[in-house]
Amino acid sequence: MIGAGNIAHEHLPAWLALGVDVVVYSHAGASELVAEFAGSTAGTLEELLGSCDAVDIVTPTPSHADLALRALEAARPVVCEKPLARTSTEAKRVIEASEQAGLPLYPGHVVRFFADYAAMHDAVAAGTIGEVAVQRFSRTGSAPSAGWFHDDAQSGGVLLDQSLHDLDFARWNAGEVATAYAQESAADGVRSVQVLLSHVAGAISFVHGTWARPGTTFRTTFDVAGPGGVLQHDSAQHPAVDTDRGDEPVAEKGRGLLPAMPDESPFRTELGEFLTGLRGGPAPRVSARDGLAAICIAEAAQRSLVTGRAEPVETVEVLE
Amino acid sequence: MKVGLMSFAHSHAASYARVLSRLSGVEVVAADPDHDRRPGETGGPALAADLGVDYVGDYPTLLARNPDAVIVCSENADHRRLVELAADAGVHVLCEKPIATTLTDADAMTAVCAAAGVQLMIAHPVRFAPAFATLRETVLSGSLGEVVSLVGTNNGRIPRGERAWFVDPIAAGGGALTDHLVHVLDLLDAVWPQARVRSVYAIANRLLHPESEVETAGLAALHLDLASTTSGGGPADRRLPVVIDASWSRPASYPTWGGLTLRVIGTGGISVCDPFAARVGGQLESMQNAAWIPYGPDLDALLLREFLAVAAGERPAAPDGVSGTRGLAVVLAAYESLRVGQPAAPRA
Repeated sequence: MIGAGNIAHEHLPAWLALGVDVVVYSHAGASELVAEFAGSTAGTLEELLGSCDAVDIVTPTPSHADLALRALEAARPVVCEKPLARTSTEAKRVIEASEQAGLPLYPGHVVRFFADYAAMHDAVAAGTIGEVAVQRFSRTGSAPSAGWFHDDAQSGGVLLDQSLHDLDFARWNAGEVATAYAQESAADGVRSVQVLLSHVAGAISFVHGTWARPGTTFRTTFDVAGPGGVLQHDSAQHPAVDTDRGDEPVAEKGRGLLPAMPDESPFRTELGEFLTGLRGGPAPRVSARDGLAAICIAEAAQRSLVTGRAEPVETVEVLE
Repeated sequence: MKVGLMSFAHSHAASYARVLSRLSGVEVVAADPDHDRRPGETGGPALAADLGVDYVGDYPTLLARNPDAVIVCSENADHRRLVELAADAGVHVLCEKPIATTLTDADAMTAVCAAAGVQLMIAHPVRFAPAFATLRETVLSGSLGEVVSLVGTNNGRIPRGERAWFVDPIAAGGGALTDHLVHVLDLLDAVWPQARVRSVYAIANRLLHPESEVETAGLAALHLDLASTTSGGGPADRRLPVVIDASWSRPASYPTWGGLTLRVIGTGGISVCDPFAARVGGQLESMQNAAWIPYGPDLDALLLREFLAVAAGERPAAPDGVSGTRGLAVVLAAYESLRVGQPAAPRA
């Protein structure tokens, strides 16, 4: 595992629960991380690559592509936190390298593995609401504290970081996206982006991402409608556990960048499916091409923020 | 006070009749001479009898009864004709939304009412919901800090089942965008009366009820210019991004008509207003469906209470015809956006 930040704290216990031995390499925090959970550390990237069977990249966005290329050069399959790369150009380079090397490359679009979202997608895919006509997704969390998130050159902003999950999901439900239109506003560290998508098949989607006031409860909602009905969810409703401690904060409400996860960690579900794929089993529900497609939608939305116009989404040829 | 009901074409007419019938000191007289335009639907003297309101056969007769005010509930494209009749008779008007289907008609309506010295109010009940008043106060007090994002949803069942003209492109003027954008726009107007929508980008389809001639799902992204707004809560020099989901995306079996929500994101926090959320839930064998027993204030009653105060001369109409015309301009810009596939500017 490369990186020892926020998401590393979710990935490491998930890998350990799956019975995987983990070696961590990071500029900072690796010793503390393995001290908190388990595992060992590597002093250099070379040492790490020489001592593992597969690499999990959980670093800040701008280093994803270079590290993935290094791992693939060392003939290591790659699991990479989303976005697969900072730009679609970089993502294509990584995909090309993985295909040439014949090595798996899995992007960590973990929302596809959240039980609520997966249940909704399964119902949509089973045709319970018919063809998707109109869908809304919202994702709101406390603005991230790490500085790199707030430098668009590094993170791609709310669009590429947070809303990427929902852009991916909108496409997973309703197919390829033809155009994206986006508008954004920010003040005092609070930042919100609204994206309207036109899908090739005719559906329309609205994706709303917000980095909110610090301390804001993490909350996601969706509303997916077709001729056969509507599927709705609000993470603030139907909690499996609900604790009230008066003035004391309650951990399971979800804070910061992550929601409450009372059941199996969706990261464990995700990494378990990736592990099966790495071991030659069925391909996971999300592919590197899906990761690239999500970046292409986000980039069209980013262009729209600049031009003020609806922008075409670059077509990603889907390979078998 | 005597109130005339002009046309039963809009399904709200029955609700207004029921509310008014319960008020002491209010006399109701209705006319629905064009009910034969709606074969197979309720209307005319039979509906008046069901509602227990006095009925006359045509509008001149109704206006000859000297009502103090009238409520225009005809098809959207027919609003102008009836509003002009009422203004000519010197009667205050509450007109169903949207004000009209063209800006030419809307401008004529506001002009004729102004010239006649009668109030023209547009029927937007949600601005009178106590839940919305709370949200408005929260925003204007500044406790949400600077507002950075706003999302409105107004989703419902396709209204075709109640009245076929709702899905007629001529009589209604359009589909879901025509029907539902204006309700959320009115709430924005109630918070920031000086704010103006500068651009509209809309996408829509007919995947729900594909046999329909009008759009059944529609999303619109707006830039709301708060520059001329001096009250608190909004950015002084920026355009507030707003998205409205106007889709008729609730299925026929949905346990209620639909709903409306407003979500405001500010630097100081987030507030969501859902005035139709209050209900007793559960499951009913008699309905073979989820129970949805709404409770809380009757918003039509709150709307009419305000209109009667306006008609009594206590205060000017709000929302008035000018506000309704601004809303219509945004709707028409949404259709222009659909046509060109890019943002369009509403008429200033």
